[in-house]
Amino acid sequence: MKAIARSALAIIVVAIIIIAGLAIYFASTQQRGTTPTTTTPSPTTTATQTTATTTTTTTAAVKKVNVAVVFDVGGRGDLSFNDMAYLGAVRAEKELGAHIEFITPRSTADMQPLLEQLSKSGKYDLIVLIGFLWTDPLNKTADKFPNQKYALIDSTTGVVRKNEVDILFREQECAALVGILASAMALKLGGNTVAALAGMDIPPLWKFHIGYLFGVKYFEKETGKKINFLWQYTGTFTDTQKGYTVGMQLIQQGARVIYGLAGLTHLGMFNAVKDWDKQHPDHIVLAIGQDASQEWIDPYHIPISGAKRVDVAVFTAIKMVATDNWKPGIVTLGLKEGGVGIWDLNGVRYFAELAYKEHKTSLTPDEIVKIVNETRHKYIPEYAWQLVDKLKQMIISGQIAFKTPTTHDEYQKIIQELQNGNLDAALEKGHI
Amino acid sequence: MPSKDGFFQKLRARFRARAQDYGMAALEVFLSAAIGFLAGALALLVLGYDPLKVYEVLFSWGYTDIGYLLLKSTPLIMTAIAFSIPALAGVFNIGGESQLYVGALLGLLVAYYIHNAPLAIVAAILGGAGLGLFIALLRVYRGINEVITAIMVNWIMYWLLAYLVTGPFNNPKLPQQSVPVPKSAQIPVFSIGGVNIAGSFILAVIGALVIYYIVFYTKTGYIMRVSGLSPASAKYAGFSPEKAILTSMLIGGAAAGFGGALLVLGDVHSIDTTLSAVYGLGFTGIGIGLLGRNNPIGIIFAAIFFSGLLIGGQYVELFLNAPPNLSDFLIGVIVIALSIPYAYRFIISWIKRRRMAK
Repeated sequence: MKAIARSALAIIVVAIIIIAGLAIYFASTQQRGTTPTTTTPSPTTTATQTTATTTTTTTAAVKKVNVAVVFDVGGRGDLSFNDMAYLGAVRAEKELGAHIEFITPRSTADMQPLLEQLSKSGKYDLIVLIGFLWTDPLNKTADKFPNQKYALIDSTTGVVRKNEVDILFREQECAALVGILASAMALKLGGNTVAALAGMDIPPLWKFHIGYLFGVKYFEKETGKKINFLWQYTGTFTDTQKGYTVGMQLIQQGARVIYGLAGLTHLGMFNAVKDWDKQHPDHIVLAIGQDASQEWIDPYHIPISGAKRVDVAVFTAIKMVATDNWKPGIVTLGLKEGGVGIWDLNGVRYFAELAYKEHKTSLTPDEIVKIVNETRHKYIPEYAWQLVDKLKQMIISGQIAFKTPTTHDEYQKIIQELQNGNLDAALEKGHI
Repeated sequence: MPSKDGFFQKLRARFRARAQDYGMAALEVFLSAAIGFLAGALALLVLGYDPLKVYEVLFSWGYTDIGYLLLKSTPLIMTAIAFSIPALAGVFNIGGESQLYVGALLGLLVAYYIHNAPLAIVAAILGGAGLGLFIALLRVYRGINEVITAIMVNWIMYWLLAYLVTGPFNNPKLPQQSVPVPKSAQIPVFSIGGVNIAGSFILAVIGALVIYYIVFYTKTGYIMRVSGLSPASAKYAGFSPEKAILTSMLIGGAAAGFGGALLVLGDVHSIDTTLSAVYGLGFTGIGIGLLGRNNPIGIIFAAIFFSGLLIGGQYVELFLNAPPNLSDFLIGVIVIALSIPYAYRFIISWIKRRRMAK
């Protein structure tokens, strides 16, 4: 008896919940029915927009394209690659009228099937893949869908396909500018040693090494002052603890400015610099970030960051398709294309805003920009900026171009020549 | 001697005798699914998304690519079993996570150095079983709560794996991942009539059926289940509940290790340095185990259902411009609703049993 009563009660409760749920659902849909202007017209307006533009495509060379931007595992909120990719996509939406959809894979196991499903749907004029983790999945997928266009950002499959563009950066160019500023800051701080904390001994890092050392040597040549150069591989991109230890070692070797080139590892170096500066206010050491603007992490001790503009790369890829100017193969972006450089205060503000929104910093974007502006004025003398502009002009005008070593031997040879003061050894074209 | 005919007759008789039970279970699943989807819909409305559209994307994209669906569910079947079998014997194995790591790592290394898939799978099973047994031994002979041990072991194994994958066994050519599984040791994906069926999925189903047989048709399984239901009666009948715990954890650990090997050999072929391919599979398995009513066959279907939600969830972001976490939240609501009736009964009886054991 008791059991029956209990189950009956349970069924009644369940029924009530279901009815209540249905009632609320219908009530809310009815509510929507009364105010249709907010929800329903959006698809119709976009439809009319697209039909309108198909007629205008003959006059303007820009097509309205459908693009899927596929993030790295982890997706947005990394304050680096994925957030920059989003920025570039939003710009394409605004300037090219592209329709963009975003997707984040759950894990590396999901990457390839996800890419295949997207390719199979045939919905997209272009699929943009963010980051090197996509290299392998793309390699396995691209040949199966010859009509689907792909853009791989910051990596290359090493295979030339008609439906694939790999967008790479000329990292040497931004590292060279950073080298000049780092040298000037070290002198201003009363020292003469600059350092870099690098990740693993792999080709992208070779490019940074060559560029950074080139910048330092260029500074020496132009100013006649001697700068010590330290380059330390940590062997990891993920170990902040190691970044801290190696950062401290570099400081003890006399480094006054340390360039972080090791992903998460160099965040540990930022902490080392902060701790050191707290204990030694009379012997200040500064840090430099890379890829995204990292000034917000510690605006008092990180005056500049090298830029790797993933946003520009994403925009470039979408533009290729939108303007029917598809160039398969490898495309490199450098100073000329705005693909690399030094983050200006607008960039600093953008990332400070992101960080503030994600509660990663308690300083407001305004405060961060103000502090960064002050530290820049305090530690970077005017002549250094002039040198940067001079080198930048030479690079942009095409007067000089950097080498990209393909083997470890070639890389070490270039470094050796640079150490001996032969600046031209790093150059593919032109001479200093 | 049991003839084939006799077996089916037995099966039919068994089904007839328990028809009411099955009917009730079906009703329960149906009702809780309805409640889950309704609760999810309400939450979506509050958040400002159209629930019908979200569900449409979830189901139309989650269950269309069968090959992807089966691949995704493969390790989940095994980690769910890793939770469920010990649960039947009355212990909470939340160490499926670390047991899967060990299986994935050993499977990867054996495959990399010896180029032999069966050996890799055996190594993974032994590794997972060993870790499961370790937790059970501490529980039985030292009285250390298995949940606490498992949580600690999970993190030890997580960081150990992260170290090994970024350090000694890193792929120098592709620094974002570990050394690869060579072609000769990979478990192939079969294409049957245009549908991709992963070899690893077939192996997982076979594994689940074997474990089903052990649990429900052998003496070992019987002892495990009796000890789980009532340790006192088990003792009275001359069984050892301690031994039942050890065997169940051994089987559970072996299953998780097996799942790790299947994942690495049959799907990802290497472990990425962010561990995104392996992380969370053990925890997801707990929900699937409850969803599958701690029954290996139920778990196969629950894992497929759950994988579809996981896959479709990715597309919710794509089509509705929603944050990627929205689908996780929705899946959570649905799974909680689906597993509440069983979890409720399970936890109450678990507490009762613990009290009785003392």
